[in-house]
Amino acid sequence: MSYQRTATMYTPRRQQNWSRNQNTVAFISSVKLGPVAHTVLVALMITVLGLIYLTQATRATSYDYQSQKIDSQIADLNTQKSDLEVENARLTALETVKNSAVASTLVTPSNTQYVHE
Amino acid sequence: MNLELQHGSRSRILAGLILVITAIFVVRLFYLQVIKHDYYVKLSAAEQVKQFDLPAKRGLIYALDGSTPVPLALNEDVYTVFADPTAVKNTSAIIDTIQKVAGGNAEPNLDQRLGNTASRYQVLATRINRTQADLIKQKNFLGVGFTDLTQRVYPEGALAAQVLGFVDYSGTGQYGVEGGLNQQLKGKDGLEKTVTDVSDVPLTIGNQDIKIPAVDGTNEVLTIDRNVQAHAEQALATGLQKTGATNGSLIVMDPQTGKVMAMANLPSYDPATFNTVTDPAVFNNATVSAPYEPGSDIKTLTFATGIDKGVITADSTYNNTDYITVDNATISNATKGQTGNITIQHAFNWSLNTGFVTVAERLGDGTNINLQARNIMYDYFYNKFGLGQLTGIQLANEQAGIVVPPSDPQGNAVRYSNMAFGQGLDATMVQVSAAFSSVINGGHYYKPTILAGTIDGSGAYIPLPTPTPIRTTISQSTSNQMLQALQTARATFYTRQDTPGYTIGGKTGTSQVVVNGVYSNTEAVGTYLGYGGTDTPRYVIMVQLSAPNKVFAGGTDAEPIFSDMSNWMLNYLKLQPKG
Repeated sequence: MSYQRTATMYTPRRQQNWSRNQNTVAFISSVKLGPVAHTVLVALMITVLGLIYLTQATRATSYDYQSQKIDSQIADLNTQKSDLEVENARLTALETVKNSAVASTLVTPSNTQYVHE
Repeated sequence: MNLELQHGSRSRILAGLILVITAIFVVRLFYLQVIKHDYYVKLSAAEQVKQFDLPAKRGLIYALDGSTPVPLALNEDVYTVFADPTAVKNTSAIIDTIQKVAGGNAEPNLDQRLGNTASRYQVLATRINRTQADLIKQKNFLGVGFTDLTQRVYPEGALAAQVLGFVDYSGTGQYGVEGGLNQQLKGKDGLEKTVTDVSDVPLTIGNQDIKIPAVDGTNEVLTIDRNVQAHAEQALATGLQKTGATNGSLIVMDPQTGKVMAMANLPSYDPATFNTVTDPAVFNNATVSAPYEPGSDIKTLTFATGIDKGVITADSTYNNTDYITVDNATISNATKGQTGNITIQHAFNWSLNTGFVTVAERLGDGTNINLQARNIMYDYFYNKFGLGQLTGIQLANEQAGIVVPPSDPQGNAVRYSNMAFGQGLDATMVQVSAAFSSVINGGHYYKPTILAGTIDGSGAYIPLPTPTPIRTTISQSTSNQMLQALQTARATFYTRQDTPGYTIGGKTGTSQVVVNGVYSNTEAVGTYLGYGGTDTPRYVIMVQLSAPNKVFAGGTDAEPIFSDMSNWMLNYLKLQPKG
């Protein structure tokens, strides 16, 4: 014996598939995707994710090159600064000052007067 | 039926084959990826991960010009130019450029070097500076390369060479401040471990990158005043030339702080060419590394000890016969004729040994340098004045010298009678200067120091706190009496040497030298130890000079150098004369 369920038939809640506040209507798309389409879509998604990963990794590396370039410039400028400090020290050394044109015109005072407070 | 069986059999064979191959792959991959995981990770890291040392910059050394730091030792990048003779083209252009740009730094026989195709590495020029290296690099010579290294440069030349020391080829400081403060100056190298590209550019990929930055060495500022140091070296050189001495040392110290303003030693050397020095003895800073018997200037300390213990005053008298016997030894005065009942001050003025042996006796029972006298002398000389022990000055190779304790069989009455006038003990000039400073500054002993402060990363000078005395040697009253005694001693013979209007005091020292185990009559070291200033002593100067087989006297040979330095210091410190 067989029978069909109807809306008018009473079914005890415990035997129902539907719970309270749940949609009882399902829409089925008319577009059907086969296994090949699924595979292609998954492959595409993996490819896109891979490309995103590669883009990010490459971007980090490009920052490394910029950083390296700036570090190199800083090192060059520090070396130049050190060279200038050495040159400055040589030009202001006692021997250099003593042998300068200005020093050669200086004379020793004959006597010194002190102002007593 | 038979066909189906065959078909099924091939499928199963193929399936089995694929299964076997797959199993082989799985097993092999398992072996490679799981069992040999660590091995291949290491292999990969060795290829991709590079480790770089990040060298710390050696700290710079500054002196003072008044209160302004001026550089004494700096760092400079220099380059070595090399060539691969098998790769070079246009040899004549390379030689021409190297000779024009590198000048005296070019190696000789450049044509032979570049023609030596059996070698892949030939040095063309050494220690050229950055500008020179850039000029050569602009030519883009094929097969020519550069290596750089950092070297010390000394803008003031050989000034204060023994104070500075030098940095050897391994980068280690030797002698002087470079040796004494090597740990602080050298800093700490850093480390970078990272994945790199083919050009060794560090990349921020990978999760095992390490970067520990280098900590540069401390930039030290010395208490050495370059003007005082330069004049000290000049005064010493002039003095040596006049007297015929071959060795001399001079120290200038601030008696109110223990700061060393100058330390000059001759003969000297240029730290930039330390490798050309043939006698390593010149590397030593004799003021801290060469203990000697200081001679009669030590009578100042015996005098102060006697006053401080209340056994004498400057006016105390004794009967001088020019000779005094201690146990079985007879001690005589170098200058004879000041006999009779004379004061200790008179004995001090004339540097009479008998007077100070008498002071030593009065520290005991009055007629013997007994154990009590020896214990008191040892307590003052060793414990209070710091003779015979390291001062802790921040210089390499400081030597302690020796003061024999009374507990030692050698520490008998004869030795202590000799110690009373500066023989029979070994002390360095820095020890004696620090002890003398305490005698004239109210009895405050300051640890001698060469460090004034540091210079931070922004170039700001950060002075160290003003030093405080580490112990008391004598009372203020004793110090006041000693100031007067020293002034009187100097005024007796040398007052005309001094610029009028200032307070100058000092004591001569002429010490016999032990040659082959006995005191030589043909060799003596001349010393002068004194102070100067107005109401407050502003400087202590100690001069010493010597030569093999020559006798130098403190009064005639060392004193003129003291006077030269002292009068110059009065001007340099802009001290106003009294009256």
